[in-house]
Amino acid sequence: MFTTGSKYFIGLTALSVVATVLYLFLVNPSDLGALALVGLITSAATLSGVSIFTRDSDTETVEQAVDASAGPASASFWPIVVALGAAMVLLGLATEPVVFVLGIAVLVGGGVEWMVQGWSDRASANAAYNSEVRAKVLGGIEYPGLSAVLTIIVAFLFSRIFLAVSKDAATIFFMLVAAVIFALGFVFAARTDLRKKALSVVLPVSIALLAIAGVVSALSGERKQLVDAAREDHFAIEHRECGEEASKYYDKHANNRVPLRKAVIATITVENNEVSAKMIGLDRKVDTITIPRMNSTTVLFRNLDDSERRLVVNLGSAKVGDTDVVEPLGTCTQLTGKGQEQVLTLTIPKPATAEEPFSFTVPGANGEIKLVVP
Amino acid sequence: MDTVSRVKSSRRRILGTLVGIAASATLAGCAQNAPQDTWEPKGPNAEMIHDLDNLVFPIAYVVGIIVLGLALYIFWKFKDRGQEIPVQGHGKPYMEITLTVVPALILSVVGVFTFRTIFDLAETQDTEIVINVTGQQWWWEYDYPVQPEHGINQPIVTSGQLVFPAGTKVLLRETSRDVIHSYWIPALNGKKDAVPGRVHLLRLEANEPGLYAGQCAEFCGLSHANMRMEAIALSKEDFAKWVANQQKAYVPPAAGTVEAEGEAVYIAQCARCHQVNGLKDAQGKPIISAPDEYVYSGAAPNLTALMTRNTFAGAMFDLVNEKCRADVWGAPSEKFGEAYLKGVTEDCLNQKDLRAWLRNAPEMKPMYAEPNLLGPSDGKYRGMPYLALTEDDIDKLVAYLLTLK
Amino acid sequence: MAIIERPDTATVPAVVTPSQAFGVIKRPVASSGWREWLFTVDHKKIGIMYGAVALFFFIVGGVEALLIRLQLAAPDGRILSADQYNQMFTMHGTTMVFLFGMPMAAAFANYFLPLQIGARDVAFPRLNALSLWLLVVGGLILNASWFLGGAADGGWFMYAPNSGPVFSPSNGVDYWVLGLQVAGLASLIGSINLIVTVLNMRAPGMTLMKMPIFTWMILVVQFLLVFSLPVITVALVLLMFQRSYGATFFDVSQGADPLLWQHLFWIFGHPEVYVLILPAFGIISEVLPTFSRKPLFGYPFVVFSGAAIGLVGFGVWAHHMFASGLGPVSVAVFSIATMAIAIPTGVKVFNWLLTMWGGKIWYTTAMKFAIGLVTLFTIGGLSGVTHSVAPSDTQQTDTYYIVAHFHYVLFGGMVFGLFSGFYYWWPKVFGKMLNEKLGSWNFWLMVIGMNMTFGPMHILGLQGQPRRMYVWTEARAGEGFFNLGFWNLIASIGSFILAAGVLFFLINIVHTAKKGKVAPADPWDARTLEWITTNPPKPHNFDRIPVVHHLDEFFHRKYAEDTATHTMKRYATAEEVIKAEEDAADAHIHLPSPSYWPLVLALGIGVLCMGVVYGVPVMVVGAAILVFSVFGWVLEPSTADDSEIDPPSVDGSTKEIAPIG
Repeated sequence: MFTTGSKYFIGLTALSVVATVLYLFLVNPSDLGALALVGLITSAATLSGVSIFTRDSDTETVEQAVDASAGPASASFWPIVVALGAAMVLLGLATEPVVFVLGIAVLVGGGVEWMVQGWSDRASANAAYNSEVRAKVLGGIEYPGLSAVLTIIVAFLFSRIFLAVSKDAATIFFMLVAAVIFALGFVFAARTDLRKKALSVVLPVSIALLAIAGVVSALSGERKQLVDAAREDHFAIEHRECGEEASKYYDKHANNRVPLRKAVIATITVENNEVSAKMIGLDRKVDTITIPRMNSTTVLFRNLDDSERRLVVNLGSAKVGDTDVVEPLGTCTQLTGKGQEQVLTLTIPKPATAEEPFSFTVPGANGEIKLVVP
Repeated sequence: MDTVSRVKSSRRRILGTLVGIAASATLAGCAQNAPQDTWEPKGPNAEMIHDLDNLVFPIAYVVGIIVLGLALYIFWKFKDRGQEIPVQGHGKPYMEITLTVVPALILSVVGVFTFRTIFDLAETQDTEIVINVTGQQWWWEYDYPVQPEHGINQPIVTSGQLVFPAGTKVLLRETSRDVIHSYWIPALNGKKDAVPGRVHLLRLEANEPGLYAGQCAEFCGLSHANMRMEAIALSKEDFAKWVANQQKAYVPPAAGTVEAEGEAVYIAQCARCHQVNGLKDAQGKPIISAPDEYVYSGAAPNLTALMTRNTFAGAMFDLVNEKCRADVWGAPSEKFGEAYLKGVTEDCLNQKDLRAWLRNAPEMKPMYAEPNLLGPSDGKYRGMPYLALTEDDIDKLVAYLLTLK
Repeated sequence: MAIIERPDTATVPAVVTPSQAFGVIKRPVASSGWREWLFTVDHKKIGIMYGAVALFFFIVGGVEALLIRLQLAAPDGRILSADQYNQMFTMHGTTMVFLFGMPMAAAFANYFLPLQIGARDVAFPRLNALSLWLLVVGGLILNASWFLGGAADGGWFMYAPNSGPVFSPSNGVDYWVLGLQVAGLASLIGSINLIVTVLNMRAPGMTLMKMPIFTWMILVVQFLLVFSLPVITVALVLLMFQRSYGATFFDVSQGADPLLWQHLFWIFGHPEVYVLILPAFGIISEVLPTFSRKPLFGYPFVVFSGAAIGLVGFGVWAHHMFASGLGPVSVAVFSIATMAIAIPTGVKVFNWLLTMWGGKIWYTTAMKFAIGLVTLFTIGGLSGVTHSVAPSDTQQTDTYYIVAHFHYVLFGGMVFGLFSGFYYWWPKVFGKMLNEKLGSWNFWLMVIGMNMTFGPMHILGLQGQPRRMYVWTEARAGEGFFNLGFWNLIASIGSFILAAGVLFFLINIVHTAKKGKVAPADPWDARTLEWITTNPPKPHNFDRIPVVHHLDEFFHRKYAEDTATHTMKRYATAEEVIKAEEDAADAHIHLPSPSYWPLVLALGIGVLCMGVVYGVPVMVVGAAILVFSVFGWVLEPSTADDSEIDPPSVDGSTKEIAPIG
């Protein structure tokens, strides 16, 4: 009932169960290692089961009739893959952990493939049957595995393109790509006779194009904004300069579109160098804005002047840590051009006091909007 | 065919039940006494909605009576009395088309009126006073933005009862600090959800001074049922008085009195979450509460002028005893302002509930105030915790709270 | 075809077909005992099990409802704590929708759809079994939460952010999310299965417009499921990642908009309403013509109005959100769209009435439930029109008026339709007649109880009592005729009368099983294909696949119009019609063998889900079972070996009918 192939896997299962139990009790129960070992149990158990009811269940009679080793072994490139894996493991130990992990994956994958192939080669004298047995055992792993790898590669290449081209170009480009894919899918669905031939042309071509575009993008690097952001950290608090002049870092690459209008409690506008404010629901100008304490509140800033402006909120002052140094509190938007908008989202935990009133100002423009926090 | 005994049908019982439902649903509009009755509008916005009800409900009744009447007639008329099996006709298209077009016409009439009312109710151009309403588990905070034309020169923060001038177009700006709540005063307008991260607008106007009851209408967790509200409409003069009173300077209790001891207890136990405007510590520095450090929503009711309100704990409990409360609820609208502005005097105070609340709040109202449930909220409470106050402390606190008016 | 013809052994290489399939990979062949049920792929057995599971959950959900009504019978109820009450109404809604309504419709669909189109099974019999077991697993996960730290407490609509890890700290919502994903998987697989079945396996001559109306409605429902379930699945996955893996899809402090959940939920949730009601419409569209002795009035109109309801049903979801702060333009558009959907629904009511018009109405219990649906659903539909008026809805939504409305629609509609189906098709399924006298008790108690329970809720709602409150207070009850106290009490009493009605049904089941009358071949003088076979049907359904010429094929095989008098005259009995089919029986009918794998696969998915709550190792075990069972599924022989199930025919004259287990 249990023949060679299955015995090997049953043994492996038992061994990994023991290893897992020992590991869980002796080493570290919450570690990823336990996960890996349970994974080993899983795969070994699956393979034992599979081997029991594919080869071992029905080939005994065949084996009696035909000497299983009589057939020539089929050509195999798995030894090379395993060797590659081993090399990667060693290389990874010396260099990057990623290479090491990938090496392990290649080693395990190649090893399993090799074993199953060797084992299926001896299943019977019938080569066609042997390859079918192999496909039955591994097909269910190979196809999802391969498609996952392919998806990762495609997603990675696409992401390189995304990061390299400008935002608008990326939007248009990918809408076009999606439209083309949709159109092709439609054509293939409608014209079944086209399918095979055309696919064999279209797929490799598009994959090649994607690969070229991805590699070129990866080599040309990310777009300027991202490179700047990474290098200069211009959104960091210490780079937030709220003066009239453009700040070297903070004001780079402002995004002046505001989609989230349902959250806006007040709009502050600068027009003809005068600051004015309107609150949602009130159709007249106000000089005081009251916002609830300790609740995330959004204020919209709209610049209608030619010169670039920013909105600054002054929130009193506070001691720095345990020292006696007192620093003003507050924040500001980036500079925004004519006809454009910025939002400021505030959560203010302390109330404004008579000594230290809060306010909104626009450097370079006249007027001030009082901010009241009860 | 005779395998099944045929049971005599008692159609009248169906008829009776149906008529009963229709009648009772109609008559529900005439009831006088339920404080949250949706068919008793007391302000123009609710009246607009009710006008639509008055259109669509009668249509529904008439259609319902015709259809059900026809049904009953058919049930009776075509009962098996041994007649022949009818010809197997498959329908009459012209009749089908008629029966499709007629309801469509009726509904398009309703649709036109609906359309208009939807946009009328979304109007905000005519607002006269704005009040911010912030929901959190399980109470409402009202804050009055600075509006000098109404005498509001510094922000007023209150909770439990929304006070506003009658005959004035009020605009509520709703939002929430934690989950979705829904603000609903049936006599004044339909409900509108208070959604965290969004600001929603709700028109409110009362024709006459009075007390209008409401209830949080969007399921908001454990104590949803206890999240009530009361809207108090005052005449313009009374509202001005109320506004002035809310903004008056804090008067600390005289040293050596039990109230002063109560203030000390308050500062030690309550002031870290509950703000009382003007309260100062021993060094004369103003005490600013920091509920954001203790409560998940980041807010606790502001207790300045607590005794001008009639409720506490999310309007779950009355701050006044039953007799005094009846005086306010039952006051005719011209006397209402006077009755309400009296506030809570010592003999009116609902000592029982207030003391029980101070003794052990989580026992009075289901809240996530138990330490073992605070893990997911980073150790912050979601309601008033148990404070282990002594009876003596409670006496002092109650005496002190009575001075907050 | 699903029926897997026995392969010709000569063409298969000896080495490929295992002569002695080993262990689990052997297909089970037991045709008796528990194995017969656990491993079956027969659509009829699966249908019965669907029904049993759904009925069980109907009782569970009903008990939850009774507890809710007990709590609310008097002010400041003390039966349940706030937490328990919140769990109770959440699970009542969830159970009734996902574990009773949908599975019971699936039970009828599974059993009768192949019979009504003259097929021998559904297109994918093992997937069918998988659907059933996934439903069971989903139901178990959902209800296991009661014993593992508390059930979900966010309402069946589970609005964000109240469903987040901070606001609902127990694991209840996790179980809810997982259970619904599994149950959703079951429905999705089932719907694809039934769509393929209807589109590909109809009997010769049955064009789409000759298809029985029940099958039509089920087809519409399956399309609704295919398009709406992915949306809720997305929402559930987002919520699962927020709760279990620290994602912030609905975390407002991270910039999320909580209305996202509401849109996702109701884009699923509104079509779901039609998923629940259309099968009931289908059932009574069979019952009313049968007992009126007339074809359905305006068959094409009923079909197209069903399809129209399905289509427009995807465009009205925001009417659940009129108070949630959408802009006036969206509110107006959805308000009008909602009114529009009332029109095809009204068409259906008129068609039912006109079906009875001029008929010869026979008041059986099935018929009584069907006309109960027509009247009660009309009331629910009209109250529905009142809240399509968006401004009125802002007063009504989240009050008991809504509860009244949807219980008239779903209890008066769906449940009455399903009960009509029970009484109509019981003899077909079990070969015994349900007792009509007990049925009458069942019907009248349910009608009275239902109106007493849900009728007063109209008043409660208009008097301003919100839903989902664990207590109501005397202070807000008012006085006089419309005070909340009186009507809450009436509603609570009504709920027990209603429960008594259901109890009579259960008694009827037991009574019928013990000493019920054996059903004749055609107890109702019925009209459709499922009656052209024995009661209960043979495993292979039909001895010969019937050839269809008419919409009501069976009726037209029994009756013909007398050209002289223009009345219908019977010229064949049901027995004769069935005999004719039997005499022309097909040879070589082969049915799919039972399989272990659907059950194992469903269990694997269940364990996998528990891993989300209990950590990665559990998940890995679940994944292992899953992978293992997929392999088993793929590798098992297409049918059980001949030698194991089918004594070879000796002289070739006997019909080979594979016994199935």
